[in-house]
Amino acid sequence: MAASKSIIVFHTLLPEFEYFRPKTLQEALELLDKYKGDARILAGGTDLLVDMRMRLKQPKYVIDIKGIDELHTLKYEEGKGLTIGATVTLDELLNNKIVKEKYYVLWDAIRQLADTHLRMKATLVGNICNASPAADSAPALLVLKAKVNIASVNGTRTVEIKDFFKWVKKTILEPNEMVTSIFIPEPPEGAKGRYLKFVRSAEDLALVGIAALVANPKDPAKRIVRIALSSVAPTPVIVEEVEELFKQDKPLSELAEEAVKLVKSKVSPITDVRATKELREHMVEFGTRYLLKTLLEG
Amino acid sequence: MGTKYVGKPIPRIDIDKVAGDAEYAYDFTLPGMVYAKLVAAPYAHAKILKIKYDEALKVPGVLAVFTGADFPFKVGIYAADRDVLAREKVLYYGHPVAAVVAETLEAAEKAAELIEVEYEPLPPVLDALEALKPDAPLVHEKLHEYKHAPFIYPKPGTNIATHLKLRKGNIEEGFSKADVVVENTYYEPLISQGYLENWVGIARVKSDGTVEIWSSHQSPFAVRNLLATSLGLPIHKVVVHHMYLGGGFGGKAGLLLEHIPVLFSMKLGGRPVRLELNREENYFYMAQRAGYYFKMKTGVTKDGKLIAHKGEYILDAGAYADYTVNVARSVGLKPFGPYEIEHVYADAYAVYTNKIPTTAFRGFGLMELYFASERQMDLLAKKLGMDPVEFRLKNVLIPGKSITHTQERLREDAGDPAGAIREAAKLIEWGKPPEQPKEPWKFRGKGIAAFWKGPVQPSNAASSAIVKLNDDGSVDVLVGTGEMGQGTITALAQIVAEELGIPIEKIRIAPERRTDMVPYTWQTVGSRGLFSEGQALIRALEDLKSQIKKVAAQVFRVFEDQIEIRDGKACVVGEPWECISLAEMALGYMYPNGNTIGGPLIGRGSHVPVRTSIPDPETGKSVPAPFYTFGAGAVEVEVDLITGRVKVLKAVMVLDTPAINPMLVAGQVYGGTVMGINIGLLEELKFDKNGRLMNPNFTDYKLARAADIPEEMIFKCLGVGQKDAPYGAKGVGELTMLPWPGAIANAIANAIGVELYELPMKPDKIIEEVKKQRPELLEKVREALKVKG
Repeated sequence: MAASKSIIVFHTLLPEFEYFRPKTLQEALELLDKYKGDARILAGGTDLLVDMRMRLKQPKYVIDIKGIDELHTLKYEEGKGLTIGATVTLDELLNNKIVKEKYYVLWDAIRQLADTHLRMKATLVGNICNASPAADSAPALLVLKAKVNIASVNGTRTVEIKDFFKWVKKTILEPNEMVTSIFIPEPPEGAKGRYLKFVRSAEDLALVGIAALVANPKDPAKRIVRIALSSVAPTPVIVEEVEELFKQDKPLSELAEEAVKLVKSKVSPITDVRATKELREHMVEFGTRYLLKTLLEG
Repeated sequence: MGTKYVGKPIPRIDIDKVAGDAEYAYDFTLPGMVYAKLVAAPYAHAKILKIKYDEALKVPGVLAVFTGADFPFKVGIYAADRDVLAREKVLYYGHPVAAVVAETLEAAEKAAELIEVEYEPLPPVLDALEALKPDAPLVHEKLHEYKHAPFIYPKPGTNIATHLKLRKGNIEEGFSKADVVVENTYYEPLISQGYLENWVGIARVKSDGTVEIWSSHQSPFAVRNLLATSLGLPIHKVVVHHMYLGGGFGGKAGLLLEHIPVLFSMKLGGRPVRLELNREENYFYMAQRAGYYFKMKTGVTKDGKLIAHKGEYILDAGAYADYTVNVARSVGLKPFGPYEIEHVYADAYAVYTNKIPTTAFRGFGLMELYFASERQMDLLAKKLGMDPVEFRLKNVLIPGKSITHTQERLREDAGDPAGAIREAAKLIEWGKPPEQPKEPWKFRGKGIAAFWKGPVQPSNAASSAIVKLNDDGSVDVLVGTGEMGQGTITALAQIVAEELGIPIEKIRIAPERRTDMVPYTWQTVGSRGLFSEGQALIRALEDLKSQIKKVAAQVFRVFEDQIEIRDGKACVVGEPWECISLAEMALGYMYPNGNTIGGPLIGRGSHVPVRTSIPDPETGKSVPAPFYTFGAGAVEVEVDLITGRVKVLKAVMVLDTPAINPMLVAGQVYGGTVMGINIGLLEELKFDKNGRLMNPNFTDYKLARAADIPEEMIFKCLGVGQKDAPYGAKGVGELTMLPWPGAIANAIANAIGVELYELPMKPDKIIEEVKKQRPELLEKVREALKVKG
């Protein structure tokens, strides 16, 4: 939909653009550097093409990275972690044994992300780069302390996922940069996780999404509790204070109550077309309670 | 009933839909076709000062840009209240204000962006109650100039598009006798029909002046009639082509946007013009379903007899009222459920606002009404301390005896309203408390709602049918009813098979129609298709059979009543070895010496509703419909106080009618149930404070997904037929969605003690109302979620 000045045109067709399908990462980075702000990376296209039809994004150049073999890495190294390349689809992750066994919270989030058809095209890296506050994979990656590998013609850099999102649909990526992969370190020993997604119907966008990761709940010295949320702030957020809180040697019942308060105080949900602020606040509170009870007692 | 085809679960004959070679209007193209693109206004209400489009005309491939000034007249269904393209004012956010026609859609879209419009914004009126206030801005200042049908009552100088009255008995006297009175206002937002096939229309004007149109519509003859009337064309010069329809649900009844490509084609020397809508355009340019306020005051005596009901029903019709004026008639003439009430007083208004135009929707206002009235029934039962089922049975209409709200004595074979309620109660195990789940934040409850409906149609809504016998004894059936998934053509084929004793495979009922080649039917709406076409078809078959008998009687030298038709043959009664096959006589029976008698055999039959009459404008007194289907729905729901979601665990539907094809009825019941439940729980068109529709897409206009379908759906047809209906069968299509919002709301009240008066019953609303009405429940949940240790 383009609301230029005084009229609205509801477009059926995509705007005009030039299409590239490089074979190597270097080629892609050079194109990106050459066209900078005028180019967009196309992976699954499930966000980009929709935004283009709606004229929310109108890149002059579209760089399709699906032909680049090195970006299709999906590699687990025992004791180190999992690397997920930029063109690995959500469906591929859903069918991966390591993801399901080692990184259950991520698997649980992907399972609830969009629908079967979209998951066959959509990529995990795309979900992160789209930077929707409602991104289902983001809370899971936040509690797993994932790292984002970024490349440009000038070299590479790696940032913590918590530092990657800047604002609604905005990331820290420079116009000539792209994400090549996500690295998820080995989760804490004995960690269990869940992603609780609040929806209106099956296969919906998250009204609120909460990821929780818990390890060794009964042992204060080794206890790890992390909580991250989507759709409650301009970006997906991790409530870092929760991890600190649970390091205290206090009864779990007490810590859980404090954690709920903490989470509530760190989010700022709004009313939009999908839900009211009040409902989101209710979901944050009761969802956090539910996850803590399930994971701490379990 | 000793039948071979009727009453049997015979698979649909339109299997080309599964195979993928079914053709829909959206698939249709013509050589030399050009593309139209509409351009919309971003104001809910504004004066148009200037439209500039010279830049648009410069785009290569552009043939023309049109504005309202090119079409200085109005069109409409019951009232001519609609501009072709906005003139003088835009009336809603998304109102088409100009259009481009180009050789390609690319060029049309490119040019569309270059159009510039200057406006003077006007204050909009965005709520139906606000629109009724004396100082409200007027949506249509020139309402007094509009042509309208005689049974529509617009009030010039106001926003009232129509006002319908129903008066039965003496309402004051009624309330004076009431011991218990319940008074509430119910609200239901605008919603969308949500069909899958976006609207498309392809039109051309031939050199002889014939206007041809292919479009996605329910009723080809209604399109023809309204197009011809609106544009002043002779009926026979308008040819409407009907193809498979990818869903209508009332949203494609009547004239839609067909006039636009037709008018554009006329301006472009007859070139075929295609106007295809995408999903967003479909939300903004097609008419949706009205919003509702139901103000209800209902009185009952202490022994549980309904005695008085007063209703004021206000429909938010949006910028153009299309069929909504007739929907107001529907709820005005049937202002309460299937119960006898001595004193009834109702006013129904359709009110213009600066919102998206509205029109018909499956059920024609009655699902909306029964949400309110079946809530009233439960609230009254609660106040009386009576069981809701018992209370309903005490008041339910009795065929042959009861006088309806329109003062009609119900015919004795009208059906089995009480039986439907009883059976639904039995199937949901009414009286047996639901088993509560182990999670202490989930609560279960049961609820019930009863319903009735007949087609809301003119008293002369006709149908006709032609049956042609082919060379090999096969049969072509010509009818005018549209095929939009409901399955009528399969049921009609079953009737033909039964009557002629030939297998289904020997019968063809093409899904395509063209109005100059198939016999007339008024419309494919109101669950009337099978009832009306079925009767016309049975008469056509009688006609054909009498011709067959005439030929056979001559061949066998017996009286015509000594011929019977069985297994595709005409035989002498009592001597089944003395037969001629239908094939032998289809084109004329030839004796061995070459002499031929008979001739191609063609049966014809007609139907008009019997006894239906025009409602009295002051009281609504009338026989409004040729049949009513009665039924009841019951549910068991589970309310989750963590998520705020309501899940229907079990849905039961009972219809009193027999089924020509139980498998097709099952399809209707399952579809209607899923649709009705989803409307109850989720669906709404959301507008911002400027009147902009915020969810014109399937991302945020929430339709049910496969995983949202209840696990257990049970239905039963009681088989109580009406004598003049084809094999007793009355309509079911719309009926299957009528009880759900009401039954669910009643079940929620029984589960968590929270009374709801608004749709949708979405998580936001559930949690908000629990906080208001039962805050202790949330405390209980908090307690249950306390971490131990």
